[in-house]
Amino acid sequence: MTELVSIPGHWDFDYTYFAGEAASRFFAELRNTRVMGATCPDCRRVLVPARSFCDACFQRTTDWVEVGPEGTLETFTIITAAFPGLPEPPIVMAYVTLDGADTALVNLVLGLDLSDIGAAAAGLQRQPRVRVQYGPEPQGRITDFAFVLA
Amino acid sequence: MSEPVAVLGVGQTTYKRRHPESSAADLIWAAAEEALADAGLGIDAVDVIIAGVAPDALAGENCVEKTAIFGTGKPFLRVNTGGVTGSSTAFAGASYVASGRARAALVVSLERMGQASTSQRVFNTIFDPVYEKDFPLTTITMAALRASMLMRVYGYSERDWAEIAARNYRHALRNPLAHLHLEVTPEDVLDSPLLAWPIHRLEACPMSEGACALVLGGRDLAAGRNAAWIQGMASTSDSYAMGDRIRRPEGSLVDLLSLQRSAVRAYADAGVSDPRKEFGVVELYSPFSSAEAMTYPALGFCAPLDGPRFIQEQQEDPSLPVFNPSGGPQAANPVSATAMVRIAECALQVRGLAGDRQVADVRRAVATGQGGATQFSTVCVLGTQTP
Amino acid sequence: MTRPAIYVEGAALEISFADGRRNLQELIFDTVRAAVDDSGQPMHEIDSVVLAAHDLVDGRSLSSMVTSPAAGAYLRDEIRYGDDGAGALAAAVTRLEAGHARRSIVAAWGRSSEHSPDQFSRSLFEPFRSRPLGLDEFVLSAMRAQLCLSAGDGAGPARERASLRRIDSARANPRALRGGGFRSAPHFPLDDADLPLWADVTAAVVLSTEPSPIRVAGVGQSSEPYNFGDRDLRTITSLKTAAGRAAADAGFGADTADVAEVDGLTLIDEALGLEAIGFAAPGTGLRTLAGDGRANPSGGGASGYSPPSMGLVRVVESVLQLRGTAGSVQQRSVRRAVATGGSVVAGQTQTVVLLEAV
Repeated sequence: MTELVSIPGHWDFDYTYFAGEAASRFFAELRNTRVMGATCPDCRRVLVPARSFCDACFQRTTDWVEVGPEGTLETFTIITAAFPGLPEPPIVMAYVTLDGADTALVNLVLGLDLSDIGAAAAGLQRQPRVRVQYGPEPQGRITDFAFVLA
Repeated sequence: MSEPVAVLGVGQTTYKRRHPESSAADLIWAAAEEALADAGLGIDAVDVIIAGVAPDALAGENCVEKTAIFGTGKPFLRVNTGGVTGSSTAFAGASYVASGRARAALVVSLERMGQASTSQRVFNTIFDPVYEKDFPLTTITMAALRASMLMRVYGYSERDWAEIAARNYRHALRNPLAHLHLEVTPEDVLDSPLLAWPIHRLEACPMSEGACALVLGGRDLAAGRNAAWIQGMASTSDSYAMGDRIRRPEGSLVDLLSLQRSAVRAYADAGVSDPRKEFGVVELYSPFSSAEAMTYPALGFCAPLDGPRFIQEQQEDPSLPVFNPSGGPQAANPVSATAMVRIAECALQVRGLAGDRQVADVRRAVATGQGGATQFSTVCVLGTQTP
Repeated sequence: MTRPAIYVEGAALEISFADGRRNLQELIFDTVRAAVDDSGQPMHEIDSVVLAAHDLVDGRSLSSMVTSPAAGAYLRDEIRYGDDGAGALAAAVTRLEAGHARRSIVAAWGRSSEHSPDQFSRSLFEPFRSRPLGLDEFVLSAMRAQLCLSAGDGAGPARERASLRRIDSARANPRALRGGGFRSAPHFPLDDADLPLWADVTAAVVLSTEPSPIRVAGVGQSSEPYNFGDRDLRTITSLKTAAGRAAADAGFGADTADVAEVDGLTLIDEALGLEAIGFAAPGTGLRTLAGDGRANPSGGGASGYSPPSMGLVRVVESVLQLRGTAGSVQQRSVRRAVATGGSVVAGQTQTVVLLEAV
């Protein structure tokens, strides 16, 4: 039998992602502790996080409006297993519709008691009110804030 | 459709974690040779080859299908539409045949993820790097976000997910190509480790390698051959933004609007009006049990709120189609190929060639594809009758 | 079997570099929106989207998941090829001919300012026999160039003149990159001016079965082996075959075209491309590029380059020529045009598109 050859490999590519003006402005507003949405002139939805076009109407967005800081937790997961390259569990991640927004945005939910996963999940299934909480040193990234129970 | 298109040949490798004995090109060739042999055609009869390979990062090779280019001089294209790569590839080949530009098309999809040391890290890099990639979004957590919403909105329980998974594993015991051959009860599923609430390990799909190929042809080639006709096929894409769909009036994140729209179009072309009665087999691209539950109302099998009850009905009502007789993606998920495997399995059922997993007297079957951020959906109706 | 005629209703392209005001989706949106506006069709009249994009170019491991909505895919039938844009266009043509769609957006893009074209190029080589040798696309183009330039018959002077004309055309082309961009390091015998100018490129067209002034008269596709050693390096066989198929389809060949827009990684690849499709006689590709304004009037790879968009860029440039709206690179009385697109590895798959003003 021929000895089967395998060769170790590493998959590593460099990228520079341009956030663009709309996301840059969204991040700048985050540093001012404001979460912004952009309005589609056709469907009138306030899209959060703000972006420059509405994909449903294939139209450029216009007016920017501040939303939140409170909102409703829509859906969530509690990550309980560790995966290589990803943060240590347990982690609660949720989509939240901030007041004044028509769409939900994803972020982590902090400060929950996760000693009993089932009980924590049951509480979150009741769609609690949450609010935006900013970290101590905003970097102008989406991770500058997280959600906590209101 | 100007020229009707049929599946004339099916080829599949086995699906398993790794195929160290085969190169990527070997796997593609193995599936393609078997499909051509099944169709009784040589490569010379083929006028176009379409290959489907999605995330290159999972193979750690870029455009790996190019190493297997065959029949020098033939048109050769590469499709990459994530989870629906396999069905998109088949549909692309069908367009070449239906347009009259190809008498026969060879479509082949390959998954080489056995070369990846970790899939979930790769899957995190599919998300938008500006607003979302910083979070632990992966295929598993994305499914979990939908599953918890399904439980809240339509009343599913963790037990429902476990029942679906146990049925899929049971069916896979009769499929020699499946990756996992496990005797699993719903209790075993619930007792398996929690990955991301409410998803347990045994509700998630495995990482599988393998290749699947189909030979597609029109009326002239189908004459005298055992053909499974494509009676309807449709593909629909949705918004990437999952958050935009949570409160969408025309269909929320868990309503699978893209699948629903595809089903409407494919059923109309196929003349299907009562899917509960008109299909003998349903092969779903649902890598998680909860994802399978989402397809029931979208495909017209039940009203959304009746989903949990429909899981029971499948066990009690023999007039209903058989769901995933192959075991489905929970028993083997070669990502790039999975949506083509669904079509292949339906074609085998319609042609009466499905071996131990054959369902009796299948006149018509439906295969789905699902990919992206609950975003790309395909529906393919296959049957014995020429459309 | 008679197939329905397919027309180009709208076209747009943009070449920029590192424009931080827009993210990738926004670049795509702007060009696709422009092509749709150019077609005069409302979005609800469009039922199909066909894309050409590559995950590793885009730095998104399933690019179309994030990018397809920016190309108009919302609740539409959409498919993405990880292949050249002209190839995607050919596939879109089959969809319309088959009656699987009525009107389709075709879009392609590549953003060189976000990724490393050299890393991409190296990753194309399989890890067992070729990657350990440090091969990249330019090594193969250089070997091809060496054969071509050593053939004698004045290839050297023709190359210089072709190179200068290419730069002049790129300067004149209003759609060419203005500032920015970069070039890879050349391998012998290639020099800087032979190499493509890496840029951020987006292109889009709207195809329809309804009559309009520009018709897709013929398409042809072909491929050749992966192993470079298995190929005839003096010609691009797959392109030649594809051109023959397109000619059979159209009833006329690339040799009768009034404009040729040929995709090639380097100047020499462009010259060989012109020969392969029959626009230039064998061995005269460089001379044609040097002296015939109808050969790559856009300036080819000197105007800005990023796979996998280039075949569709060549199609858009051809459409503008046929419409008479190509600006200062416009050629006289253009009734027929030929555009080509090749994809990795070293032009292994090729598409030829013949277009006609009707």
